Amino acid sequence: MEIHELNELSPLRVFDESLGGGLGRGNLGVLVSRHGVGKTACLVHLATDRLLHGEYVIHVSFSGNVEHVINWYKEVFREVAEGRSLDDAATVYNNILSNRVVMNFSQENVTIDKVLSSLETLIKHGSFKADAILFDGYKLTVATEEDVRKIKEFAQKMNLEVWFSVSPVRSDAMYDKYGVPDSMGKYVDLIDVLIGLVYNEELDKVVMTAVKAPGEIMEKPMGVSLDPKTMLISK
Amino acid sequence: MTDLRHLRNIGISAHIDSGKTTLSERILYYTNKIHEVHEVRGKDGVGATMDSMELERERGITIASAATNVVWKGNEINVIDTPGHVDFTIEVERSLRVLDGAILVLCSVGGVQSQSITVDRQMKRYKVPRIAFVNKCDRTGANPYKVKNQLIEKLGLNALMMQIPIGLEDRLEGVVDLVAMKALYFDAGPNMDQLREAEIPAKLLAEARQKREELLDGVSLLSDALMEAMLEDAVTEEILIKAIREATISLQMVPVFIGSAYRNKGIPPLLDAVVKYLPNPSDVTNIALDLDNDEEEVALVADDEMPTVALAFKLEDGQYGQLTYIRIYQGKIRKGDELYNTRTRRKFRVGRLIRMHADTMEDLSEAGCGEIAALFGIDCASGDTFCDPKLNYSMSSMYVPKPVISLAVHPVDKKASDNMAKALNRFTKEDPTFRTFVDPESNQTIIQGMGELHLEVYVERMKREYKALVEVGRPEVAYREAITQRADFIYTHKKQTGGSGQYAKVAGYIEPLVSTGDDGEEADYEFVDEIKGGTIPTEFIPSCDKGFQLAMKKGTQVGFPIIGVRVVINDGAYHAVDSSDQAFQTAALGAFREAFENAKPVILEPLMKVEVVAPNEFQGSVFASINQRRGVIISSNEDNQATTVFAEVPLSEMFGYSTILRSLTQGKGEFTMELSKYGRVPASVAENLRKEYAEKRRQVQK
Repeated sequence: MEIHELNELSPLRVFDESLGGGLGRGNLGVLVSRHGVGKTACLVHLATDRLLHGEYVIHVSFSGNVEHVINWYKEVFREVAEGRSLDDAATVYNNILSNRVVMNFSQENVTIDKVLSSLETLIKHGSFKADAILFDGYKLTVATEEDVRKIKEFAQKMNLEVWFSVSPVRSDAMYDKYGVPDSMGKYVDLIDVLIGLVYNEELDKVVMTAVKAPGEIMEKPMGVSLDPKTMLISK
Repeated sequence: MTDLRHLRNIGISAHIDSGKTTLSERILYYTNKIHEVHEVRGKDGVGATMDSMELERERGITIASAATNVVWKGNEINVIDTPGHVDFTIEVERSLRVLDGAILVLCSVGGVQSQSITVDRQMKRYKVPRIAFVNKCDRTGANPYKVKNQLIEKLGLNALMMQIPIGLEDRLEGVVDLVAMKALYFDAGPNMDQLREAEIPAKLLAEARQKREELLDGVSLLSDALMEAMLEDAVTEEILIKAIREATISLQMVPVFIGSAYRNKGIPPLLDAVVKYLPNPSDVTNIALDLDNDEEEVALVADDEMPTVALAFKLEDGQYGQLTYIRIYQGKIRKGDELYNTRTRRKFRVGRLIRMHADTMEDLSEAGCGEIAALFGIDCASGDTFCDPKLNYSMSSMYVPKPVISLAVHPVDKKASDNMAKALNRFTKEDPTFRTFVDPESNQTIIQGMGELHLEVYVERMKREYKALVEVGRPEVAYREAITQRADFIYTHKKQTGGSGQYAKVAGYIEPLVSTGDDGEEADYEFVDEIKGGTIPTEFIPSCDKGFQLAMKKGTQVGFPIIGVRVVINDGAYHAVDSSDQAFQTAALGAFREAFENAKPVILEPLMKVEVVAPNEFQGSVFASINQRRGVIISSNEDNQATTVFAEVPLSEMFGYSTILRSLTQGKGEFTMELSKYGRVPASVAENLRKEYAEKRRQVQK
């Protein structure tokens, strides 16, 4: 199968459709759930989809283990490529690799200003024309509104999409039926897309619900869920 | 036979001016003195009146050997020399492998300097547990706490003070041991090293208690046993030492000691600490690769009864011939034993087995696992693994990457030429990634290696150690050529005018060999014989194969080897009299060259995995410098101090990068690189390379 066919058949098209056409540049999107539900894989799947469209992606992590993140990309690409028998997969993979940078911050208490300034340095001095930035494991729930506003401004200034994967830091957070913790409440106005992930035992799947899409508050299932085996977004 | 619990293999590593030499010498002095008291003093009583410098001169204490064996309170400590140059070369790698632990020496004034950062990074890479020694506490401006904080901030180590100073600068008298809660004074006396234990002076008591609390708090986070003891208010010295030892060995903390080597302050407690907190050989798991089992990892067991595995980590030319330093990881070595060198696949017998002390050489009848010893007269290279003949293990991967860069070296005169030959012979033994040969076309001596810096180090060593003055040419990249599509060939080689004729015809096609391995590792050449009906007689098939291989040795675009081609022959013709081995080789060569032109050939270049580290404020310059070099940034990692950037950059663009990086980062940035893979040269660059090659060929033909 060729890349464009694979892209057309991708479950990510359903994902985008549920959001009324995707996140869109200048916007912030959030995937939220309890720990261990599979957000990183999901985020990497979103990134891989952008990469397969020839776009440029920066993956921001805070774990200190870059190798771990890179392995996720390898795994996700393998799943996606093998599932659809992509032509010349090895070459495609090598090509998309040069469009992805993993930026890790192992600073304690790194400020959002520092992160954004490093991102801007990479985009400008490194001539890396990012189309999307993914924040993996950023502690959004303890960030101030001011922090989130700065990220939003950055997304608009640089004209790119920003995705977050978020798990609450506090252990006493309360979750609603879509898997959204109460601590997310205060940012709802600042973010454009909010997707809750929650494991449904009956279906043995992680169900995704769009709690907010660009321009509207809604609560609807997304038509996609996470495959419990691969942790990838699937129909 | 040594009880492993009483054996330590350590290195001392430091920034150049922090007093590594003085500390090493003092360690030799203090440890050696135990023997001296009995041996020397009895004879003429010299020990009593000499000052330390004279003593050393008199005894000829040396730290020049690769590993020196000393004894401290019944424990054997092997002090292993870590190379001074910090470039990440195979030699540094080897010396770090044989260490079980290290003392990181820091200057109390200068603190953590850029070289300490490099050294520490290497230690982290090889997971070497370490203790820190803040030296030169007698100097004006000494501040051990500042240095401890730098260990935390700059190196990200969990550094905890084990002592506090009694007086500082010129009033440094001793230290308070926070574990035993005792004062230790190092009185200047006739033996200049009298250690006196006393109660903690009243004015320091409050501070000592507070610092001990900090130590306990820090360690208890890492040790449940200590935590429990603290809750029950039953912390004993033994529990605390055990907890610190475990945390240090598992790389979770770095205990910090203080003193002044030059003033003989703080050395005995440091030696105690080496024994108390650094691992013994059985605390460390070492891994070997089983060569009979696809280099599968095998954990070695520190047991004398197991089959022997030892690593030759350093060669030294002494007056008695080549001395090979070995570290025994498993089993033991006895004089007369037969050992197997897994690289050369040769067996040899152990002749003289020795151990180096500060001033003597001791003959051994056997050496057990965990020990460092040396062998005389063994023909080997450093990095070789010696095994019991039953085993076929290697301590390091046998895979030697192919060199990516070459440099012509030309000795300035006859003497330099002889010395150069000696030097090159030696280097190739030490370092498998360093190669040398004489180019038949230009008659020049070519050296090959893994990077510009790699070769620079050897050229420098030729001059310094072997007095071989050489002129060097321009570094050249080892390109490769490849094809991108299938191309057919029908080629007839015919020469039938007069004398014995030649006739051969081959037909078939060439196509790219698609990578099979997971890592895209490509096979270089495959030959497929699909001849049916004997259109080419069987005896000439190998001739065709040979001819194709000959053609692959030198591509037509830039004269470098062609890789990744499958050649299929499916038809041909022969002549009963005029066909020969030679005729079919020539036909195959011609056929390949013809098809190669039609197979959309490309030039491949070595792409290097580059790792650049620089303080955060230079992030932009580093990104830009990689971008300007056709590099691809793979990832970056930022901590409180520095940004590490991982990128893939063509080797040809990396020439002179060390100088450029230095100037971009005010000397604070550094980088390492290794071959990642071969990648396609962009069309515009390839065009230039082809032109240059054509020009060069014209020059040669003139």
